[in-house]
Amino acid sequence: MKKEYFAGVDIGSTMTKVVIMNGEMLASVIGPTGPEHRKLANRVMEEALNKAGLSFDEITYVVATGYGRINVPFADKQITEISCHARGVSYLLPEARTVIDIGGQDSKAIKLADGRAVDFVMNDKCAAGSGRFLEVTAESLGVKLEDMGKLSLEAKSRVDISNICTVFAAQEVVAQLAAGAALADIIAGLHEAIASRICGMARRLKMEREVAVTGGGAKNIGLVRALEAKLGYAVLVPPEPLLTGAIGAALLGKDMVKKAAESGEQLPRSERRLTEASIFS
Amino acid sequence: MTAEDATGKGLSLVEKYYQDYGSRAGELKGEGKQIMGYLCAFVPLEMLTAAGFIPFRIIGDVNEPITKADAEMETIVCPLVRSCFDMWLKGRYKFLDGIVIPHACDSICRTYQIWQYTLNLPYSHFINMPHTTDDSSLKFYKAELETFRKSLGEFVGREISDQSLKEATQLYNQNRAKVRELYNLRKSSPPLISGVELAKTLIAAVSLPVDEATALIGDVIDEVKQRQPLSAPKSARLMVFGAQIDNVAFIELVEESGAWVVADDLCPGARESLTDVTPTADPIDGIAERYLRKIYCGRTYRERKGSYEDYMEERFGHLAAAIKDFKVDGVVLYIYKYCDPFGFEVPEIKSYIESKGVPVLYVEDEYSMSTIGRLRTRVQAFLEMLGSK
Amino acid sequence: MTEEKKPEERKKRRTATEAASKIGPMVKATIGGTVQAREEGKPIAYSFICCCYDEIIRAMDIIPVWTENYAGVCGAKRDAQRFLERAESENFSRSLCTYALCGLGFDAWREELGEMPPEAPWGGQARPDMMLGSGQILCDPRNKWYQAAQHYMPDVPVYDVGLPWPAYEHDYDYRQVQDYYVKYIVEQLRGLVEFLEKQIGRKMDWDRLSELVELADRTWNLIYEAYELRRAVPTPMGTGDAMNTMVPMVFMMGTQEGYDFYKDLYDELKRKIANKEGVIADEKYRLIWGGGLPSWFALADFNYFNSKGAVFPVETTYRMVEAIYNFDIDLSKVTDPLEHIAWRWVKYWTYWYDKARKRPGSHPDVERLIQYIEDYKIDGIVMHEAFSCRSWHVGLIWQLNLLKKVYKDMPSLILESDIVDISSYNEADTRARIDAFIDTLEAVKSKQR
Repeated sequence: MKKEYFAGVDIGSTMTKVVIMNGEMLASVIGPTGPEHRKLANRVMEEALNKAGLSFDEITYVVATGYGRINVPFADKQITEISCHARGVSYLLPEARTVIDIGGQDSKAIKLADGRAVDFVMNDKCAAGSGRFLEVTAESLGVKLEDMGKLSLEAKSRVDISNICTVFAAQEVVAQLAAGAALADIIAGLHEAIASRICGMARRLKMEREVAVTGGGAKNIGLVRALEAKLGYAVLVPPEPLLTGAIGAALLGKDMVKKAAESGEQLPRSERRLTEASIFS
Repeated sequence: MTAEDATGKGLSLVEKYYQDYGSRAGELKGEGKQIMGYLCAFVPLEMLTAAGFIPFRIIGDVNEPITKADAEMETIVCPLVRSCFDMWLKGRYKFLDGIVIPHACDSICRTYQIWQYTLNLPYSHFINMPHTTDDSSLKFYKAELETFRKSLGEFVGREISDQSLKEATQLYNQNRAKVRELYNLRKSSPPLISGVELAKTLIAAVSLPVDEATALIGDVIDEVKQRQPLSAPKSARLMVFGAQIDNVAFIELVEESGAWVVADDLCPGARESLTDVTPTADPIDGIAERYLRKIYCGRTYRERKGSYEDYMEERFGHLAAAIKDFKVDGVVLYIYKYCDPFGFEVPEIKSYIESKGVPVLYVEDEYSMSTIGRLRTRVQAFLEMLGSK
Repeated sequence: MTEEKKPEERKKRRTATEAASKIGPMVKATIGGTVQAREEGKPIAYSFICCCYDEIIRAMDIIPVWTENYAGVCGAKRDAQRFLERAESENFSRSLCTYALCGLGFDAWREELGEMPPEAPWGGQARPDMMLGSGQILCDPRNKWYQAAQHYMPDVPVYDVGLPWPAYEHDYDYRQVQDYYVKYIVEQLRGLVEFLEKQIGRKMDWDRLSELVELADRTWNLIYEAYELRRAVPTPMGTGDAMNTMVPMVFMMGTQEGYDFYKDLYDELKRKIANKEGVIADEKYRLIWGGGLPSWFALADFNYFNSKGAVFPVETTYRMVEAIYNFDIDLSKVTDPLEHIAWRWVKYWTYWYDKARKRPGSHPDVERLIQYIEDYKIDGIVMHEAFSCRSWHVGLIWQLNLLKKVYKDMPSLILESDIVDISSYNEADTRARIDAFIDTLEAVKSKQR
């Protein structure tokens, strides 16, 4: 029997993630950040193919997900990041009943049952519940985004950040710093503010344990701790939280191929080309 | 020349009136007719028609950023009401002779004086409709309708007779019968008419004199019955619930995402267009009864008589009935920001519908194309969720 | 780091009057009293301010829990966010009335726990036996809030009173319709009395109601007279204090304690005027708080105005009374207490209508501003637009525009924040706006000199 390979492509607002799987993960690449790189998602795909030692034609099915999924010319099918995160988490952390995904521009919470999404909420209107909030405030504090988590663990107390509007909050942290507040305490306050926003949203689902945290936010240890403090229990984090959506996409592709083979129905398949993504909506 | 000769009939005429909203009212104004603008489902159109006016529903425009309204109206007002006002300030509704505003919600009633003073129209009137529906409220509402009748009568220089009210009631009931017939076309699978086509038809209809609207809806019914059935395979049949949705942007997004919109609780739509006025000896009785008690909108407070479960059935039972009649797979609650009457009902409606085993997607929007576009992922995820059931 | 941090308590705001400084402890005692009343099994009703039923519930010994008040207290103590978030997690939009959101979040939490949420401000909000809403031409949350609260307390009955008043119209005078308005309100209040009798198993004592209605009338007149004393230069009391002294007006109407409070306030203001004691010694600018509920968490902004030489001798907000002897009917002749309440209601809301008719293009809301501007020698107008409340915060821009058109141009400032939700507030930005406004006032003053 011919060996089947499945690719998942997750084009987020700041990162492009590609995984190639057959029973297990053969290759994964987390691609360059920034809007100007997004249309070059095909390069990330090529890199993943090189790593796996496969040619594009050998991939049975490609599913694209994420913010930039719409115009990926090399995908067979587009599926929302909500379904993909649900599938990815069910695979990686089968005990999870809720997913909280903290992305660069949005955040979402997904309720799981039998390995799929049964309800979800999403915030993309306001930066306050997303990575963007930390990005902007990190910049105004003169701190690298990736250092925020560790720094906050040194906090002795916490500065309350009252503004949820990102622009106001950025002003507020500068004022706090000028007033002599400790940097670590301010960052802890920022994590508390964003955790509070995210929990307010996620609680709309009547969350059940266990809760898995995915996306870039899950890589920030300070934020994860703040979420745990809000929830009152520990959360689960996959080994590479950024890849969850791409893994879910690949697995959903595999599910579809299997289902089509069983039912004899035709598999939805676009005419795919490994070229640049053109328009993003 | 009638509009029909120039642009065909049925859905193509609907398209013209939808795209160029108010064009027919402008023509009629040119012919010497008086056009009366109104907001919301709670203005008894029978009264305006009996007085000789052509009632004209004021709508907003999701494609047009709100720019002029902010100089007079706070941005904490419902974005739909702000858009309506903005469109007026931008000259879209120059043909109107006046405005009638009902006590619908705070965003409408607290802005009454802004409309009244800023537009400086020959006629303006506020109908102080009670919130409650008990007998004394109905009596009060009838008195308010008599005040409205008298005021309109003085404006046009003649009394509004019972006979003319009865005739107008009949015209509107005929119209509602046609709308019900139109809704029946959604029951088959796939529906005979798409959600976008139906919404456009109803929106076009509220810009027309009632007899023309009825004829137009009739033509649409004939046309869709005769044409090739809609064939695109779509995974789910959805209901959209919301306040006034006077454009098809959101419904279009849902249908593009792979579902049919086959039912609604919207204005224009099922909430305001399906229930008749019962003809009564005193025509005001039937009119008052319908507008106070038979339009199921969050702005109206319904007294609870029995258990809480009974109360949910009383308030939302019509949704469950429509879900059954139209074989609805999922419901989208599409709620505007700053909408107190609908916003406070979301937890109740969501849990009521879910208790019937039907999934609900709740989204909040701000009435603009850019914010509507952002809902696409949510709608698609909801459909994926329904599809994987 | 892992524990929920208690919000920092604000320092007590400096008040100008002794009367205002008594309010905090009074409110605290009232809220504590409702929790105790609940334990003692006394009937408790969730209630809204300005709903005509003050004397009715007092006469029946029903303990009101003023839910707007409790939300305001949570806001003032800067401890509302956790209740707002709780409401949001119930699927209520954060754009809705934040009094209601705070209350609903609190109720949902209390009902889930079966006891008060942890460290609830001032002991928490007692569970009610009934909830009394209303339908006016103002404030949708007055009939949506308690209806929504039933989702968490399905056993608690609601009564909704219809309380309309005639709109200001160009096509007819309100006197043409006032009779049927009054008749309707009386029927609605009668329905309320029947509902309450059924709930508590006791009959209304109509004589007692008449006494309390008369007491409320006297209190109205007394408040009017006390507040009019603030015309004095320097003014003995500002809006910052009035945001406290409103408490007996809206929460204790029809009680002797409420009346006595205003008697003391009246005497204190008289004394201060005799001693030429003002809020500030050197008044540079006299301002009107011309619209909008205050940000309860930022009342110290009034002191900031004071520090810049600005005082507020008058406000439209929470001045929910007019002298009853100035009405165009003799209310003392209306002996039926419900009818009396209904007429007082209709006459209050239509009080400025005649005045508006006399000035071409004017409107009652604007006439009221003009009258206060003249009576209190006002230099500028400050308003607050609270994003979550459409009842009191729509039409402010329009009022300023119309004022300019029919009267005169005046320096004005609209602050933007909220009543309860502190995340909408930016102190630095607010104070920068106040500074700029003071500069404008100064520029206008120096031009006049």
